[in-house]
Amino acid sequence: VTEIAIVGAGIHPFGRHEGVSGLAMGVHAARAALADARVAWSDVQFAYGGSEDAGNADTMVADLGPTGLPFMNVKNGCATGGSSLVSAVRALESGAYEVGLVVGFDKHPRGAFQNDPADWSLPDWYGEVGLMVTTQFFGAKLQRYMHDHDIPALTLAQVAEKAFRNGSLTPHAWRTKPLSIEEILGAQMLAHPLTQYMLCSPGEGAAALVLSRREYLDRVPEARPIWLRAASLRTRRAGTFEVFSPSLALEIAPSPSVDAAREAFESAGVAPEDVDVAQVQDTESGAELIHLAECGLCEHGEQVALYARGETRIGGRLPVNTDGGCLANGEPVGASGLRQVYEIVSQLRGDAGRRQVPGRPRIGFTHVYGAPGVSACTVLGR
Amino acid sequence: VFPLRERCPACGGPVGRVLLPRRGTLWTWTTQGFEPRSPPYRPDGEFEPFAVGYVEFEGHLRVEGRLTESDPERLRIGMPMEVVALVRGDRVTYAFAPTGEAE
Repeated sequence: VTEIAIVGAGIHPFGRHEGVSGLAMGVHAARAALADARVAWSDVQFAYGGSEDAGNADTMVADLGPTGLPFMNVKNGCATGGSSLVSAVRALESGAYEVGLVVGFDKHPRGAFQNDPADWSLPDWYGEVGLMVTTQFFGAKLQRYMHDHDIPALTLAQVAEKAFRNGSLTPHAWRTKPLSIEEILGAQMLAHPLTQYMLCSPGEGAAALVLSRREYLDRVPEARPIWLRAASLRTRRAGTFEVFSPSLALEIAPSPSVDAAREAFESAGVAPEDVDVAQVQDTESGAELIHLAECGLCEHGEQVALYARGETRIGGRLPVNTDGGCLANGEPVGASGLRQVYEIVSQLRGDAGRRQVPGRPRIGFTHVYGAPGVSACTVLGR
Repeated sequence: VFPLRERCPACGGPVGRVLLPRRGTLWTWTTQGFEPRSPPYRPDGEFEPFAVGYVEFEGHLRVEGRLTESDPERLRIGMPMEVVALVRGDRVTYAFAPTGEAE
């Protein structure tokens, strides 16, 4: 088995950064990851990177140095960062390279995402009548999930309350003010049952990782590697419930999250019960609940007790989204997947400061899911 | 599959047309509490929050559409619904109404 290590991790603060381009944030994160790895850019043999709305990653060579390396632009919706990571892992496993960089960044306009039906093979009327809105998918999917598994609105508020509390402990987070359960439940209803504070906002930020094969570690004796035990990417199968679906089959097929998580755990030889700290896609409060179960980290319906007992808090049995997740960091689509990995690297190294999970966590897990039905998962270990 | 496609999304084969029944049940729903981004949305007068949902047509499929009822207190999963015309400006489309409300 080829062993792949994360030898460096860097991040640009998430949030709103007037006058700073997405690419500039990406360069910042890349430099931070290189410095953390003690690897010079001139030694990097290949790179994958991308954003949804903020430009071509490969143009970063204008700042980092045009060394002639193969630099692949990646654009794969909400799994852009995960796709870069999986691609880099496969490139290293192939033996073609020993060390590479992945970078994800984004900068979205304020307000809800704006999508053109034509880009989604959908008729114009779908957008004209007001159905081309991502939050409707979140609300509708969650409404049914809560009905099927008897989940109250209180649990949704507990997810958001934890997110903002964790965000308040995270230096690079966007939302750093804790909110009470009452404030979250009482906020404006945007997509029933989701209130304003239960939905993340499109935002800005960047994250980068330096990856290497085990053999390369001799060249960077000061690096503090975290092992990437598995990285998996899956897309939807027939009959899944995805965003912008004018119709659904009577039988809903399992989400690509189920496939990606199962493949990652099997490939790593790790069981979901072994996970000490997890990052799952929390585009909204309900997504965190659904994804925990889809990834095998709990049973469907068990979330109510899990959150009531505080087991997903820092210090709980299964800390989830310890940096505040998308709810506290916002959603720069190209950056979120790598932010999750950055957070797990910080936790496994014991570098997470005030948000550090106690008990020296050994195994971490990350999960992204998004449009148009794509999921990427990783299993990491010390 | 709805809307009609040239090919079956599952197998790539040809498709036939099936007329759906007028009545079904509400499978899930949510609300649109803010005005959608335009484009692609075509505003029709001053924005008022609306609800959307999927209506299940037994033995066929579930179709997404706007609901005529926007009050969360008056919507519940499993309630009977029927297809009605929705006029917006010079366009006519469909919506789903709780049965009994339409006449």
